[in-house]
Amino acid sequence: MNGSRGAHNEREDRMSVRGGLRGGVRLAGLALVVVTALAVAGSAIGGGSAQSCGTVIINEQSWSGSTANTYVAKYVLEKRLGCKVKLTQVTEGPPYFQAMRDGKVDVALEDWDNTLTKAGKTYTKDGSVRVVGSNGITGVIGWYIPRYLLKQYPQFKTWRGLKGKESVFKSPESGSQGMFLGGDPSYVQKDRALIKELGLNLKHVVAGAEPAQVARWSQLYKQKKPVLFYWYDPQYLNAQYDLVRIQLPKRFAGCVDDEKLSGKHACEYPSYGLDKLISKKFATSGSPAVKFVRNWKWTSADQNFVANLIAGKKMKPEKAAEQWVKANPGKVNAWLK
Amino acid sequence: MASVVAETVTPAPVIVHRVWWRGRLVRVVGIVALMYVAYRARTLEYPWPDRLVWNTLSIHLDDFQVWLLAERGQENQSFVFTVFEGFSSAIDHLVDWFNRLLLWLTWAGAVVAGTAVVARFGGVRAGLITLFAFASFALLGLWEESMETLALMLVSVSLSLLVGIPLGVVAGRSVQFRRAITPVLDAMQIVPAFAYLMPVVILFSIGPAAAVVSTMIYAIPPAIRITELGIRRVPINTVEAATSMGATRGQLLRKVQLPLARRMILLGVNQTILFALSMVVIAGLIGGGGLGAVVTSGLYSNPALAVLAGLAIVVMAMALDRSTEAIAERTDPARLHLDESTGRTRLLTPLLVAVIAVGIALSKALGVGAAYPDEAGSPPRTVTIEEWLLGRIQVVLDYVQDPTTWVFAVTERVGVFILQHLLLPLQEFLVEAPWFTTVAGLTAIAFVVSGLRPALTTLAMLCLIGFTGVWALAMDTLSQVLVATAIAVVIGVVLGILAAESERFSKAMRPVNDLLQTLPQLVYIIPFIYLMPVSIVPGIVAGVLYAFPVTLRLVERGVRDVAPTSVEAATAFGASRRQVLTKVKLPLAGDAVMLGVNQAIIMVLAVVVIAGLVGSGGLGYEVAQGLVRGQFGQGVIASIAILALGIALDRVTQGTRQSRKEGIA
Repeated sequence: MNGSRGAHNEREDRMSVRGGLRGGVRLAGLALVVVTALAVAGSAIGGGSAQSCGTVIINEQSWSGSTANTYVAKYVLEKRLGCKVKLTQVTEGPPYFQAMRDGKVDVALEDWDNTLTKAGKTYTKDGSVRVVGSNGITGVIGWYIPRYLLKQYPQFKTWRGLKGKESVFKSPESGSQGMFLGGDPSYVQKDRALIKELGLNLKHVVAGAEPAQVARWSQLYKQKKPVLFYWYDPQYLNAQYDLVRIQLPKRFAGCVDDEKLSGKHACEYPSYGLDKLISKKFATSGSPAVKFVRNWKWTSADQNFVANLIAGKKMKPEKAAEQWVKANPGKVNAWLK
Repeated sequence: MASVVAETVTPAPVIVHRVWWRGRLVRVVGIVALMYVAYRARTLEYPWPDRLVWNTLSIHLDDFQVWLLAERGQENQSFVFTVFEGFSSAIDHLVDWFNRLLLWLTWAGAVVAGTAVVARFGGVRAGLITLFAFASFALLGLWEESMETLALMLVSVSLSLLVGIPLGVVAGRSVQFRRAITPVLDAMQIVPAFAYLMPVVILFSIGPAAAVVSTMIYAIPPAIRITELGIRRVPINTVEAATSMGATRGQLLRKVQLPLARRMILLGVNQTILFALSMVVIAGLIGGGGLGAVVTSGLYSNPALAVLAGLAIVVMAMALDRSTEAIAERTDPARLHLDESTGRTRLLTPLLVAVIAVGIALSKALGVGAAYPDEAGSPPRTVTIEEWLLGRIQVVLDYVQDPTTWVFAVTERVGVFILQHLLLPLQEFLVEAPWFTTVAGLTAIAFVVSGLRPALTTLAMLCLIGFTGVWALAMDTLSQVLVATAIAVVIGVVLGILAAESERFSKAMRPVNDLLQTLPQLVYIIPFIYLMPVSIVPGIVAGVLYAFPVTLRLVERGVRDVAPTSVEAATAFGASRRQVLTKVKLPLAGDAVMLGVNQAIIMVLAVVVIAGLVGSGGLGYEVAQGLVRGQFGQGVIASIAILALGIALDRVTQGTRQSRKEGIA
């Protein structure tokens, strides 16, 4: 230390290099010890006792109705059949079909006819995704307005009444045109094509994910202003807001429902028989849960009740499911037969 | 060599500041004016011509996806696919293993182990922060989700470092290699993560593996870049001295470059962790689970819960940031011998192991649960912290949803103003202006600001956008990016000057800045969905909130760095405080703004694209829809266009980043 300045620095440099190596070795040694200890312990618990039901992976989709389905099924599977239930949140359509093929999702309880699309058919054809019946609910998609509008504009019951009156729906972003509030980008829709082919002077405004869209129209609703938007049923908010579905042209043969495909789109959306899907892997697993899923079925009133507890009343999904199950022993027992 | 010289010679204090960017600014304004004249004077519509569009691209891409899926589903796969599958299931298992490990530790054991390790290597303060973080996860009722995210982070960060550090070392030693990977790294950082989710999902399927891979794509560049910088920063004379004494390349690396770059490499580790954490929410979209999934699904069913999970992510980021920083600092060999005697250190390590072992054994013996008990056993009269917080957040959300309050009256007007007076006119200008004047104008701006090569790149990228057939959508996105960047810069400059002038304001802004930069963007979009219910505006606001802290910091530093001698000289000549500010300090702040524009614009682009999920149109919505509806062709085309737009914007503004050096030279 009492050498010249340069010598001191050099020595410190050398020391620090050695110190670093020593520290590194020590650290690595320690990490090794800890990891080995944990690995031994981890493998000891890894085995776990196997239950007859095993693990069921249910996919929860983004809308609140799906959350209701999922948690009620989860509750019964866990409490009555002793299964272990895992939830995933994969979007509908090809993403979850693929997850089912890869064995990462076992069950989806509410499919809005994605199995009928071109991509969907490839999965149902090779058997990696199986449709196991209706979940008891019929889904409806359409153009909705608040009922109070009909007082002033009774002609808005059908799409013809909109013609020439589009500017009633004008908004900051639509200029002189009327605004059509589009749906969540993940949902089935063809509104741009419908507007064009029906010759309506409407501007399709993207609202984004469902909460953003709900925020937008419900605020206009609260101010009693006009609004026209993509919406669907069953949906728990339909009990809170009084909405009317506008009549679109009747369906005809060859009417196309996907705006990405060319053809004529100018007809109302079909009504959707909502299906339950299971993966090939799950179907052949022999778990009692397979039979349960095949039997599982309820009504849109049931679903809205539970969805309202969760999304409307902010109850924990587990508690909401428990409440419904305890109040409906008959339906639950039918699923377990 | 040159840079070393430049760094050591400090320029003499300048009193009259030369504003290097003024001439360019005038030329840029001139070009924009010409574009505007062309736009007004046009007699016909000139959208991007159909002849110049590759119409079948989308179909080809869709066919490619079908082929890929068919290939993946086959019983006997080709070699490439076997490798992919193997890799993906290996990562899945790794994440799962870590996850089970963390749960096996039990919550008490995990708290003891985590806190003890951080406290041992990072000091008591860092240990306390870690403890606080664990406590928050438990009390917020998000224990399991937090552990899932932690497991995901452990795997993605270690893999990123495993790839990034060696590549960084090579790049630091070889100029050719550096030149080769720089554009790739640029692209990886410019492309919003949202754009590559789709290909990743196709290749790796939904699940932890896909989440880890997309996180890696985003987190590897900082690891490479900072390591490379660390190696290059090693003083050239040290390297020369070692070489002249006969050190081989390997020796040079092991004995000189790596030890001296240690600090930078650890900084790289820290940055990699933070970058990885910022991907948590996006990873939640593709099966990453954990806190990210709580945010994305909470956005639909329970926005208050999404906000709560967002806060947990911030806490995790803060704890990881502080503890890695403290560990890097405390284990720095340069100070190791200063404050710790070797004898004590030897005792500490076994003690640490003992503490952890006892902690785990004790919690096992007492039958502590894997996850912190959610509500089981708590008597109904008590309200848990989680419920209380959720209640508070809900009250705020309910308030902002109420269209009759004065807050809403103000914010709605602001939103409508931004839309009607900024966004729509600009959008109309960019979309409706003849395509060739826009291409020529932007290329000319790139030439004026950045030079010939960037201008050529810009031209190529703009043509690529047109060629893929999404010109109008890209111009829509561009208008959003420009408006958000402009607002972010204005806010950044105003607050930056305030912060530079007032120490108290600066201190007050710091936590706000940190929060805005770590909180997942989707989380702070939530209140604005309600407050400014005009479709594109929440995305713009989110972009502004994400990008303005960067400008603020640069401006604050710029104004503060004004040599005190210049200020003194000006004051001596009788300049008032205001004159000092406007004549001396502001021109320097201008420099900082120019530096920040490039960075801000790229950050804004990332957010504007994510905002496609909540109502911004343009390319972001196309990707969002392509992703969620599995429309591969559409999603990939929009992704390519975003990449091209990002590179073009980067090249146009690149000159602002480099000119600082020229200004000094």
